[in-house]
Amino acid sequence: MAELSIQHIDKIYDNNVQAVFDFNLDVKDGELIVLVGPSGCGKSTTLRMVAGLEDISAGKLLLDGKDITAAPAKDRDMAMVFQSYALYGHMTIYENMAFSLTLRKENPNVIHKKVLAAAEILGLTSQLNKKPAQLSGGQRQRVAMGRSIVRNPKVFLFDEPLSNLDAKLRGATRREILLLHKRLQATMMYVTHDQTEALTLADRIVCMSMGHVQQVGTPLELYDSPDNIFVASFIGLPPMNFFDVRVDGDKLVGEGFTVGLTPEEQHILQAYNGKVVVLGVRPENIAEGTDVKVDVTNNENLGMNTLVHGHIAGTGNRIVAKLKGWADYKNGDGASFSFKRKHFFDKETTKAIRGDK
Amino acid sequence: MNLNDERTVRRDRMRFIKNTQSSSLCYLGILFNVFNFVRLYMSDVGNYYYTIVIGVSIVYNLIFMLAVFLASEGVKNYKPGYSYLLAVIGVIQIVRIFIIPVPAHAAETLVNGVETTVMGNGQFMFHVVCLVASAVCLILSAVINFTKCRELAAHMKTLDAQNA
Repeated sequence: MAELSIQHIDKIYDNNVQAVFDFNLDVKDGELIVLVGPSGCGKSTTLRMVAGLEDISAGKLLLDGKDITAAPAKDRDMAMVFQSYALYGHMTIYENMAFSLTLRKENPNVIHKKVLAAAEILGLTSQLNKKPAQLSGGQRQRVAMGRSIVRNPKVFLFDEPLSNLDAKLRGATRREILLLHKRLQATMMYVTHDQTEALTLADRIVCMSMGHVQQVGTPLELYDSPDNIFVASFIGLPPMNFFDVRVDGDKLVGEGFTVGLTPEEQHILQAYNGKVVVLGVRPENIAEGTDVKVDVTNNENLGMNTLVHGHIAGTGNRIVAKLKGWADYKNGDGASFSFKRKHFFDKETTKAIRGDK
Repeated sequence: MNLNDERTVRRDRMRFIKNTQSSSLCYLGILFNVFNFVRLYMSDVGNYYYTIVIGVSIVYNLIFMLAVFLASEGVKNYKPGYSYLLAVIGVIQIVRIFIIPVPAHAAETLVNGVETTVMGNGQFMFHVVCLVASAVCLILSAVINFTKCRELAAHMKTLDAQNA
Protein backbone atom coordinates (compact mmCIF):
# COMPACT_ATOMS: atom_id res chain seq x y z
CA MET A 1 0.00 0.00 0.00
CA ALA A 2 1.06 3.61 0.24
CA GLU A 3 2.20 6.54 2.30
CA LEU A 4 1.15 9.95 1.14
CA SER A 5 2.96 13.13 2.06
CA ILE A 6 1.29 16.46 1.36
CA GLN A 7 3.80 19.23 1.92
CA HIS A 8 2.91 22.93 2.15
CA ILE A 9 0.32 22.77 -0.59
CA ASP A 10 -1.45 25.92 -1.78
CA LYS A 11 -4.21 26.30 -4.31
CA ILE A 12 -4.51 29.66 -6.04
CA TYR A 13 -6.99 29.93 -8.90
CA ASP A 14 -6.42 32.04 -12.01
CA ASN A 15 -8.54 34.84 -10.55
CA ASN A 16 -6.11 34.98 -7.59
CA VAL A 17 -8.60 33.45 -5.18
CA GLN A 18 -6.69 31.21 -2.80
CA ALA A 19 -8.69 28.14 -1.81
CA VAL A 20 -6.09 26.22 0.18
CA PHE A 21 -3.32 27.65 2.37
CA ASP A 22 -0.20 25.73 3.35
CA PHE A 23 -1.80 22.29 3.69
CA ASN A 24 0.52 19.85 5.44
CA LEU A 25 -0.26 16.23 6.14
CA ASP A 26 1.48 12.87 6.27
CA VAL A 27 -0.92 10.01 5.63
CA LYS A 28 0.39 6.72 6.93
CA ASP A 29 0.06 3.42 5.13
CA GLY A 30 -3.42 1.99 5.62
CA GLU A 31 -4.71 5.09 7.35
CA LEU A 32 -8.17 6.53 6.80
CA ILE A 33 -7.96 10.31 6.86
CA VAL A 34 -11.16 12.34 6.83
CA LEU A 35 -11.13 15.96 5.68
CA VAL A 36 -14.04 17.71 7.32
CA GLY A 37 -15.26 21.27 7.27
CA PRO A 38 -18.09 23.47 6.10
CA SER A 39 -18.84 24.07 2.42
CA GLY A 40 -16.14 26.12 0.69
CA CYS A 41 -13.42 25.33 3.23
CA GLY A 42 -11.14 23.78 0.58
CA LYS A 43 -11.45 20.10 1.50
CA SER A 44 -12.67 18.91 -1.91
CA THR A 45 -10.11 21.14 -3.64
CA THR A 46 -7.39 19.50 -1.57
CA LEU A 47 -8.65 16.04 -2.48
CA ARG A 48 -8.83 16.97 -6.16
CA MET A 49 -5.25 18.23 -6.00
CA VAL A 50 -4.18 14.91 -4.51
CA ALA A 51 -6.09 13.09 -7.26
CA GLY A 52 -4.50 15.23 -9.95
CA LEU A 53 -7.77 16.80 -11.05
CA GLU A 54 -6.59 20.25 -9.95
CA ASP A 55 -3.13 21.73 -10.40
CA ILE A 56 -1.11 22.30 -7.27
CA SER A 57 -0.11 25.99 -7.10
CA ALA A 58 2.69 25.51 -4.58
CA GLY A 59 4.05 22.72 -2.44
CA LYS A 60 4.83 19.08 -3.00
CA LEU A 61 2.90 15.84 -3.11
CA LEU A 62 4.82 12.63 -2.47
CA LEU A 63 3.51 9.09 -2.83
CA ASP A 64 5.81 6.53 -1.25
CA GLY A 65 8.55 9.13 -1.41
CA LYS A 66 8.09 9.75 -5.12
CA ASP A 67 7.25 13.29 -6.18
CA ILE A 68 3.92 13.18 -8.05
CA THR A 69 3.13 16.90 -7.80
CA ALA A 70 3.03 17.36 -11.56
CA ALA A 71 2.06 13.80 -12.51
CA PRO A 72 -1.18 13.46 -14.49
CA ALA A 73 -4.12 11.86 -12.70
CA LYS A 74 -3.86 8.61 -14.66
CA ASP A 75 -0.29 8.04 -13.50
CA ARG A 76 -0.94 8.55 -9.80
CA ASP A 77 -2.32 5.12 -9.05
CA MET A 78 -5.20 6.58 -7.08
CA ALA A 79 -8.90 5.86 -7.42
CA MET A 80 -11.60 8.38 -6.66
CA VAL A 81 -15.21 7.80 -5.69
CA PHE A 82 -17.50 10.72 -6.41
CA GLN A 83 -20.70 11.89 -4.77
CA SER A 84 -22.58 11.44 -8.05
CA TYR A 85 -21.34 7.81 -8.55
CA ALA A 86 -20.32 8.62 -12.17
CA LEU A 87 -21.52 5.24 -13.49
CA TYR A 88 -22.21 4.55 -17.14
CA GLY A 89 -25.96 4.08 -17.43
CA HIS A 90 -25.87 1.95 -20.59
CA MET A 91 -23.39 -0.55 -19.14
CA THR A 92 -24.15 -3.34 -16.71
CA ILE A 93 -22.65 -3.28 -13.23
CA TYR A 94 -20.08 -5.85 -14.36
CA GLU A 95 -19.09 -3.70 -17.34
CA ASN A 96 -18.95 -0.58 -15.18
CA MET A 97 -16.63 -2.27 -12.73
CA ALA A 98 -14.48 -3.76 -15.47
CA PHE A 99 -14.34 -0.60 -17.55
CA SER A 100 -11.08 0.92 -16.28
CA LEU A 101 -9.27 -2.39 -16.65
CA THR A 102 -10.71 -2.93 -20.13
CA LEU A 103 -9.33 0.46 -21.13
CA ARG A 104 -5.93 -0.66 -19.90
CA LYS A 105 -6.32 -3.73 -22.13
CA GLU A 106 -5.81 -6.16 -19.28
CA ASN A 107 -6.42 -9.85 -19.83
CA PRO A 108 -10.22 -10.42 -19.78
CA ASN A 109 -9.85 -13.42 -17.47
CA VAL A 110 -7.84 -11.33 -15.01
CA ILE A 111 -10.46 -8.58 -15.22
CA HIS A 112 -13.15 -11.16 -14.54
CA LYS A 113 -11.43 -12.45 -11.43
CA LYS A 114 -10.91 -8.92 -10.09
CA VAL A 115 -14.51 -7.89 -10.73
CA LEU A 116 -15.87 -11.02 -9.07
CA ALA A 117 -13.61 -10.50 -6.07
CA ALA A 118 -14.67 -6.86 -5.71
CA ALA A 119 -18.34 -7.76 -6.15
CA GLU A 120 -17.98 -10.40 -3.46
CA ILE A 121 -16.46 -7.89 -1.04
CA LEU A 122 -19.24 -5.41 -1.71
CA GLY A 123 -22.09 -7.89 -1.85
CA LEU A 124 -22.86 -7.09 -5.47
CA THR A 125 -22.48 -10.53 -7.01
CA SER A 126 -26.18 -10.93 -7.68
CA GLN A 127 -26.42 -7.47 -9.24
CA LEU A 128 -23.67 -7.77 -11.83
CA ASN A 129 -26.00 -8.18 -14.81
CA LYS A 130 -28.17 -5.20 -13.87
CA LYS A 131 -27.93 -1.64 -15.12
CA PRO A 132 -27.20 1.19 -12.63
CA ALA A 133 -30.77 2.48 -12.96
CA GLN A 134 -32.04 -0.78 -11.44
CA LEU A 135 -30.01 -0.30 -8.25
CA SER A 136 -30.62 1.78 -5.14
CA GLY A 137 -28.42 4.76 -4.32
CA GLY A 138 -26.42 2.75 -1.78
CA GLN A 139 -25.84 -0.06 -4.25
CA ARG A 140 -24.76 2.40 -6.92
CA GLN A 141 -22.26 3.92 -4.54
CA ARG A 142 -20.97 0.42 -3.80
CA VAL A 143 -20.52 -0.10 -7.54
CA ALA A 144 -18.53 3.11 -7.67
CA MET A 145 -16.38 1.77 -4.86
CA GLY A 146 -16.07 -1.56 -6.64
CA ARG A 147 -14.81 0.20 -9.72
CA SER A 148 -12.05 1.64 -7.54
CA ILE A 149 -11.27 -1.64 -5.83
CA VAL A 150 -10.70 -3.58 -9.06
CA ARG A 151 -7.92 -1.17 -9.95
CA ASN A 152 -6.15 -2.02 -6.70
CA PRO A 153 -4.89 1.56 -6.36
CA LYS A 154 -2.37 2.75 -3.83
CA VAL A 155 -4.74 5.37 -2.45
CA PHE A 156 -8.53 5.56 -2.38
CA LEU A 157 -10.09 9.02 -2.50
CA PHE A 158 -13.72 9.59 -1.52
CA ASP A 159 -15.39 12.92 -2.27
CA GLU A 160 -18.56 13.09 -0.17
CA PRO A 161 -19.69 9.64 -1.35
CA LEU A 162 -22.71 9.46 0.94
CA SER A 163 -24.21 12.88 0.34
CA ASN A 164 -26.74 11.61 -2.19
CA LEU A 165 -28.11 8.94 0.14
CA ASP A 166 -30.93 9.18 2.63
CA ALA A 167 -30.09 9.07 6.34
CA LYS A 168 -30.72 5.35 6.84
CA LEU A 169 -28.78 4.28 3.78
CA ARG A 170 -26.00 6.69 4.67
CA GLY A 171 -25.52 4.95 7.99
CA ALA A 172 -25.46 1.51 6.39
CA THR A 173 -23.07 2.54 3.61
CA ARG A 174 -20.83 4.27 6.15
CA ARG A 175 -20.48 1.00 8.02
CA GLU A 176 -19.70 -0.75 4.75
CA ILE A 177 -16.93 1.73 3.99
CA LEU A 178 -15.50 1.13 7.43
CA LEU A 179 -15.58 -2.64 6.92
CA LEU A 180 -14.06 -2.19 3.48
CA HIS A 181 -11.22 -0.19 4.96
CA LYS A 182 -10.59 -2.83 7.59
CA ARG A 183 -10.66 -5.57 4.97
CA LEU A 184 -8.48 -3.84 2.38
CA GLN A 185 -6.21 -2.05 4.86
CA ALA A 186 -5.85 0.60 2.19
CA THR A 187 -4.74 4.19 2.48
CA MET A 188 -7.85 6.33 2.13
CA MET A 189 -8.69 10.02 2.08
CA TYR A 190 -12.32 10.87 2.61
CA VAL A 191 -13.98 14.26 2.29
CA THR A 192 -17.20 15.08 4.07
CA HIS A 193 -18.98 17.98 5.69
CA ASP A 194 -20.79 15.57 8.00
CA GLN A 195 -19.04 15.40 11.35
CA THR A 196 -20.78 12.12 12.22
CA GLU A 197 -19.12 10.49 9.21
CA ALA A 198 -15.83 12.04 10.18
CA LEU A 199 -15.98 10.87 13.78
CA THR A 200 -17.12 7.35 12.98
CA LEU A 201 -14.85 6.63 10.02
CA ALA A 202 -11.58 8.40 10.62
CA ASP A 203 -8.33 7.18 12.01
CA ARG A 204 -7.44 10.88 11.96
CA ILE A 205 -9.52 13.92 11.10
CA VAL A 206 -8.30 17.05 9.34
CA CYS A 207 -10.66 19.87 10.25
CA MET A 208 -10.55 22.75 7.76
CA SER A 209 -11.99 26.23 7.57
CA MET A 210 -11.51 28.95 4.94
CA GLY A 211 -8.72 26.96 3.26
CA HIS A 212 -6.71 26.56 6.48
CA VAL A 213 -6.16 23.40 8.47
CA GLN A 214 -7.59 24.06 11.92
CA GLN A 215 -6.62 20.82 13.61
CA VAL A 216 -5.37 17.35 12.78
CA GLY A 217 -6.00 14.57 15.24
CA THR A 218 -7.92 11.49 16.18
CA PRO A 219 -11.70 11.84 16.49
CA LEU A 220 -11.38 11.80 20.28
CA GLU A 221 -8.71 14.51 20.23
CA LEU A 222 -10.89 16.78 18.13
CA TYR A 223 -13.92 16.15 20.27
CA ASP A 224 -12.23 16.24 23.63
CA SER A 225 -9.41 18.71 23.07
CA PRO A 226 -10.35 21.09 20.26
CA ASP A 227 -7.53 23.46 19.36
CA ASN A 228 -9.75 26.45 18.80
CA ILE A 229 -13.30 27.75 18.88
CA PHE A 230 -13.94 26.75 15.26
CA VAL A 231 -13.11 23.08 15.84
CA ALA A 232 -15.00 23.11 19.14
CA SER A 233 -18.10 24.48 17.46
CA PHE A 234 -17.86 22.31 14.34
CA ILE A 235 -17.31 18.96 16.02
CA GLY A 236 -20.15 17.80 18.21
CA LEU A 237 -23.90 17.81 17.76
CA PRO A 238 -25.58 19.92 19.04
CA PRO A 239 -22.62 22.29 18.92
CA MET A 240 -20.76 23.49 21.97
CA ASN A 241 -22.19 26.41 23.99
CA PHE A 242 -19.92 29.44 24.26
CA PHE A 243 -20.04 32.19 26.90
CA ASP A 244 -17.81 35.16 27.55
CA VAL A 245 -16.71 34.89 31.18
CA ARG A 246 -14.28 36.73 33.44
CA VAL A 247 -11.80 34.65 35.42
CA ASP A 248 -12.07 35.65 39.06
CA GLY A 249 -9.77 33.51 41.18
CA ASP A 250 -11.60 30.28 41.85
CA LYS A 251 -14.69 31.13 39.82
CA LEU A 252 -15.87 32.27 36.42
CA VAL A 253 -18.26 35.17 36.23
CA GLY A 254 -20.45 35.27 33.17
CA GLU A 255 -23.50 37.29 32.23
CA GLY A 256 -26.20 35.97 34.54
CA PHE A 257 -24.22 33.17 36.14
CA THR A 258 -21.18 32.31 38.20
CA VAL A 259 -19.54 28.89 38.22
CA GLY A 260 -16.77 27.56 40.39
CA LEU A 261 -13.45 26.28 39.10
CA THR A 262 -11.69 23.12 40.17
CA PRO A 263 -8.06 23.47 41.28
CA GLU A 264 -6.98 22.02 37.97
CA GLU A 265 -9.05 24.55 36.02
CA GLN A 266 -7.68 27.35 38.17
CA HIS A 267 -4.20 26.17 37.28
CA ILE A 268 -5.04 26.20 33.57
CA LEU A 269 -6.45 29.72 33.80
CA GLN A 270 -3.89 31.23 36.20
CA ALA A 271 -2.43 33.44 33.46
CA TYR A 272 -5.90 34.75 32.63
CA ASN A 273 -6.98 35.79 36.12
CA GLY A 274 -9.03 38.97 35.82
CA LYS A 275 -9.32 38.61 32.05
CA VAL A 276 -12.23 37.66 29.86
CA VAL A 277 -12.03 34.22 28.23
CA VAL A 278 -14.49 32.15 26.23
CA LEU A 279 -16.02 29.29 28.17
CA GLY A 280 -17.11 26.35 26.06
CA VAL A 281 -19.46 23.68 27.38
CA ARG A 282 -20.76 20.79 25.33
CA PRO A 283 -24.52 20.20 25.69
CA GLU A 284 -23.82 16.67 26.88
CA ASN A 285 -21.57 18.06 29.63
CA ILE A 286 -24.49 19.95 31.14
CA ALA A 287 -26.60 18.33 33.85
CA GLU A 288 -29.36 19.46 36.12
CA GLY A 289 -27.75 21.30 39.04
CA THR A 290 -27.62 24.62 40.81
CA ASP A 291 -25.02 26.82 39.04
CA VAL A 292 -26.84 28.29 36.07
CA LYS A 293 -30.47 29.38 35.92
CA VAL A 294 -32.05 28.98 32.51
CA ASP A 295 -35.32 30.12 30.96
CA VAL A 296 -36.43 27.21 28.79
CA THR A 297 -37.70 28.03 25.30
CA ASN A 298 -37.93 24.61 23.75
CA ASN A 299 -37.71 20.95 24.74
CA GLU A 300 -36.86 18.13 22.29
CA ASN A 301 -37.29 14.60 23.53
CA LEU A 302 -35.14 12.19 21.54
CA GLY A 303 -35.93 9.06 23.53
CA MET A 304 -32.63 8.39 25.23
CA ASN A 305 -31.89 12.10 25.62
CA THR A 306 -33.66 15.40 25.83
CA LEU A 307 -32.39 18.59 24.25
CA VAL A 308 -33.33 21.57 26.35
CA HIS A 309 -33.01 24.93 24.56
CA GLY A 310 -33.16 28.17 26.49
CA HIS A 311 -31.51 31.39 27.60
CA ILE A 312 -29.39 32.10 30.65
CA ALA A 313 -31.93 33.69 32.99
CA GLY A 314 -32.22 37.43 32.47
CA THR A 315 -29.88 37.48 29.47
CA GLY A 316 -30.02 36.73 25.77
CA ASN A 317 -27.25 34.11 25.95
CA ARG A 318 -28.56 30.95 24.37
CA ILE A 319 -27.80 27.57 25.84
CA VAL A 320 -28.54 24.00 24.78
CA ALA A 321 -28.36 21.14 27.25
CA LYS A 322 -28.46 17.46 26.36
CA LEU A 323 -29.93 15.74 29.37
CA LYS A 324 -30.02 12.00 29.85
CA GLY A 325 -33.42 10.39 29.74
CA TRP A 326 -36.80 12.01 29.27
CA ALA A 327 -37.37 15.55 30.53
CA ASP A 328 -40.60 17.52 30.38
CA TYR A 329 -39.68 21.18 30.31
CA LYS A 330 -42.12 23.57 28.70
CA ASN A 331 -41.65 26.96 27.12
CA GLY A 332 -41.23 29.51 29.96
CA ASP A 333 -40.20 26.94 32.58
CA GLY A 334 -37.16 27.69 34.70
CA ALA A 335 -34.33 25.17 34.85
CA SER A 336 -31.10 24.99 36.74
CA PHE A 337 -27.96 23.42 35.34
CA SER A 338 -24.36 22.69 36.23
CA PHE A 339 -21.38 22.46 33.88
CA LYS A 340 -19.53 19.18 34.27
CA ARG A 341 -16.66 19.66 31.83
CA LYS A 342 -15.42 23.00 30.63
CA HIS A 343 -13.28 24.13 27.71
CA PHE A 344 -11.50 27.50 27.73
CA PHE A 345 -10.52 29.61 24.75
CA ASP A 346 -8.55 32.81 24.41
CA LYS A 347 -10.99 35.52 23.36
CA GLU A 348 -8.46 37.26 21.11
CA THR A 349 -6.80 34.32 19.36
CA THR A 350 -9.77 31.87 19.72
CA LYS A 351 -7.19 29.20 20.58
CA ALA A 352 -7.73 26.70 23.36
CA ILE A 353 -6.26 27.51 26.76
CA ARG A 354 -4.61 24.43 28.15
CA GLY A 355 -2.30 25.96 30.72
CA ASP A 356 1.12 24.32 30.84
CA LYS A 357 -0.31 20.83 30.43
CA MET B 1 -15.77 -22.68 -9.17
CA ASN B 2 -12.06 -22.93 -9.85
CA LEU B 3 -10.89 -19.46 -10.85
CA ASN B 4 -7.39 -20.75 -11.49
CA ASP B 5 -8.63 -22.72 -14.47
CA GLU B 6 -8.54 -20.29 -17.39
CA ARG B 7 -11.13 -22.29 -19.33
CA THR B 8 -13.57 -22.13 -16.45
CA VAL B 9 -12.98 -18.38 -16.07
CA ARG B 10 -13.53 -17.89 -19.79
CA ARG B 11 -16.82 -19.74 -19.53
CA ASP B 12 -17.83 -17.93 -16.40
CA ARG B 13 -17.26 -14.57 -18.12
CA MET B 14 -20.14 -15.46 -20.43
CA ARG B 15 -22.51 -14.98 -17.51
CA PHE B 16 -21.77 -11.26 -17.61
CA ILE B 17 -20.32 -10.48 -21.03
CA LYS B 18 -22.64 -10.39 -24.04
CA ASN B 19 -21.90 -12.44 -27.12
CA THR B 20 -20.66 -9.48 -29.13
CA GLN B 21 -18.65 -11.75 -31.41
CA SER B 22 -21.79 -13.32 -32.86
CA SER B 23 -23.78 -10.10 -32.98
CA SER B 24 -20.91 -8.27 -34.69
CA LEU B 25 -20.80 -10.99 -37.33
CA CYS B 26 -24.53 -10.47 -37.86
CA TYR B 27 -23.98 -6.75 -38.44
CA LEU B 28 -21.19 -7.60 -40.85
CA GLY B 29 -23.54 -10.00 -42.65
CA ILE B 30 -26.09 -7.20 -43.00
CA LEU B 31 -23.39 -4.85 -44.26
CA PHE B 32 -22.27 -7.23 -47.03
CA ASN B 33 -25.90 -7.67 -48.01
CA VAL B 34 -26.31 -3.90 -48.20
CA PHE B 35 -23.29 -3.69 -50.53
CA ASN B 36 -24.90 -6.40 -52.59
CA PHE B 37 -28.30 -4.77 -53.08
CA VAL B 38 -27.00 -1.23 -53.43
CA ARG B 39 -24.77 -2.33 -56.30
CA LEU B 40 -27.62 -4.37 -57.79
CA TYR B 41 -30.13 -1.53 -57.66
CA MET B 42 -27.61 0.90 -59.10
CA SER B 43 -27.52 -1.17 -62.29
CA ASP B 44 -29.04 0.68 -65.21
CA VAL B 45 -29.39 -1.41 -68.29
CA GLY B 46 -32.47 0.40 -69.59
CA ASN B 47 -35.02 -2.27 -70.30
CA TYR B 48 -34.31 -4.18 -67.18
CA TYR B 49 -34.48 -7.93 -67.50
CA TYR B 50 -35.52 -8.94 -63.99
CA THR B 51 -37.96 -6.28 -62.90
CA ILE B 52 -40.26 -8.59 -60.95
CA VAL B 53 -37.41 -10.53 -59.38
CA ILE B 54 -35.82 -7.26 -58.32
CA GLY B 55 -39.09 -6.26 -56.67
CA VAL B 56 -39.16 -9.51 -54.72
CA SER B 57 -35.50 -8.96 -53.88
CA ILE B 58 -36.29 -5.55 -52.34
CA VAL B 59 -38.98 -7.08 -50.13
CA TYR B 60 -36.67 -9.94 -49.16
CA ASN B 61 -33.84 -7.54 -48.28
CA LEU B 62 -36.13 -5.68 -45.89
CA ILE B 63 -37.18 -8.93 -44.24
CA PHE B 64 -33.56 -10.10 -44.21
CA MET B 65 -32.31 -6.99 -42.41
CA LEU B 66 -35.11 -7.11 -39.85
CA ALA B 67 -34.60 -10.83 -39.16
CA VAL B 68 -30.82 -10.64 -38.91
CA PHE B 69 -30.98 -7.57 -36.69
CA LEU B 70 -33.39 -9.35 -34.34
CA ALA B 71 -31.18 -12.43 -34.43
CA SER B 72 -28.15 -10.29 -33.59
CA GLU B 73 -29.89 -9.17 -30.40
CA GLY B 74 -30.82 -12.76 -29.65
CA VAL B 75 -27.33 -14.17 -30.06
CA LYS B 76 -25.95 -11.27 -28.05
CA ASN B 77 -27.89 -12.74 -25.12
CA TYR B 78 -26.90 -16.35 -25.84
CA LYS B 79 -30.29 -17.47 -27.21
CA PRO B 80 -29.53 -20.78 -29.00
CA GLY B 81 -32.68 -20.71 -31.19
CA TYR B 82 -31.36 -17.78 -33.20
CA SER B 83 -28.43 -19.91 -34.36
CA TYR B 84 -30.82 -21.98 -36.48
CA LEU B 85 -32.42 -18.87 -37.95
CA LEU B 86 -29.03 -17.41 -38.84
CA ALA B 87 -27.85 -20.67 -40.39
CA VAL B 88 -30.95 -20.82 -42.58
CA ILE B 89 -30.61 -17.20 -43.65
CA GLY B 90 -26.93 -17.83 -44.37
CA VAL B 91 -27.78 -20.71 -46.68
CA ILE B 92 -30.43 -18.56 -48.41
CA GLN B 93 -27.71 -15.95 -49.08
CA ILE B 94 -25.81 -18.59 -51.05
CA VAL B 95 -28.97 -19.65 -52.88
CA ARG B 96 -29.58 -15.99 -53.83
CA ILE B 97 -26.47 -16.10 -56.02
CA PHE B 98 -28.43 -18.40 -58.33
CA ILE B 99 -31.59 -16.29 -58.29
CA ILE B 100 -30.32 -12.98 -59.67
CA PRO B 101 -26.56 -12.80 -60.36
CA VAL B 102 -26.17 -16.10 -62.23
CA PRO B 103 -29.17 -15.68 -64.60
CA ALA B 104 -28.41 -11.98 -65.10
CA HIS B 105 -24.79 -12.78 -65.86
CA ALA B 106 -25.87 -15.22 -68.55
CA ALA B 107 -28.64 -13.05 -70.02
CA GLU B 108 -28.45 -10.35 -72.65
CA THR B 109 -30.80 -7.48 -73.41
CA LEU B 110 -31.14 -4.75 -76.03
CA VAL B 111 -29.97 -1.33 -74.94
CA ASN B 112 -30.39 1.31 -77.67
CA GLY B 113 -30.54 -1.46 -80.22
CA VAL B 114 -27.29 -3.03 -79.00
CA GLU B 115 -27.20 -6.45 -77.34
CA THR B 116 -25.71 -5.99 -73.86
CA THR B 117 -25.01 -8.44 -71.03
CA VAL B 118 -27.38 -7.69 -68.17
CA MET B 119 -24.66 -8.24 -65.59
CA GLY B 120 -21.00 -7.96 -66.54
CA ASN B 121 -18.21 -10.07 -65.09
CA GLY B 122 -17.08 -7.44 -62.58
CA GLN B 123 -20.53 -6.84 -61.17
CA PHE B 124 -21.24 -10.55 -61.10
CA MET B 125 -18.12 -11.25 -59.07
CA PHE B 126 -18.97 -8.39 -56.74
CA HIS B 127 -22.40 -9.85 -55.99
CA VAL B 128 -21.01 -13.34 -55.53
CA VAL B 129 -18.35 -12.09 -53.11
CA CYS B 130 -20.86 -10.01 -51.13
CA LEU B 131 -23.42 -12.79 -50.82
CA VAL B 132 -20.82 -15.42 -49.94
CA ALA B 133 -19.24 -13.08 -47.37
CA SER B 134 -22.64 -12.32 -45.90
CA ALA B 135 -23.46 -16.04 -45.74
CA VAL B 136 -20.12 -16.88 -44.10
CA CYS B 137 -20.66 -14.17 -41.46
CA LEU B 138 -24.14 -15.39 -40.62
CA ILE B 139 -23.23 -19.07 -40.51
CA LEU B 140 -20.12 -18.32 -38.45
CA SER B 141 -22.22 -16.24 -36.09
CA ALA B 142 -24.66 -19.12 -35.76
CA VAL B 143 -21.92 -21.66 -35.06
CA ILE B 144 -20.17 -19.44 -32.50
CA ASN B 145 -23.43 -18.70 -30.74
CA PHE B 146 -24.45 -22.33 -30.69
CA THR B 147 -21.10 -23.41 -29.24
CA LYS B 148 -21.12 -20.67 -26.63
CA CYS B 149 -24.69 -21.41 -25.64
CA ARG B 150 -23.82 -25.04 -25.04
CA GLU B 151 -20.73 -24.08 -23.02
CA LEU B 152 -22.71 -21.60 -20.98
CA ALA B 153 -25.52 -24.04 -20.34
CA ALA B 154 -23.02 -26.66 -19.15
CA HIS B 155 -21.28 -24.09 -16.98
CA MET B 156 -24.55 -22.94 -15.42
CA LYS B 157 -25.43 -26.55 -14.70
CA THR B 158 -22.09 -26.97 -12.89
CA LEU B 159 -22.64 -23.79 -10.91
CA ASP B 160 -26.14 -24.88 -9.95
CA ALA B 161 -24.79 -28.25 -8.83
CA GLN B 162 -22.14 -26.50 -6.73
CA ASN B 163 -24.68 -24.17 -5.16
CA ALA B 164 -27.15 -26.96 -4.45
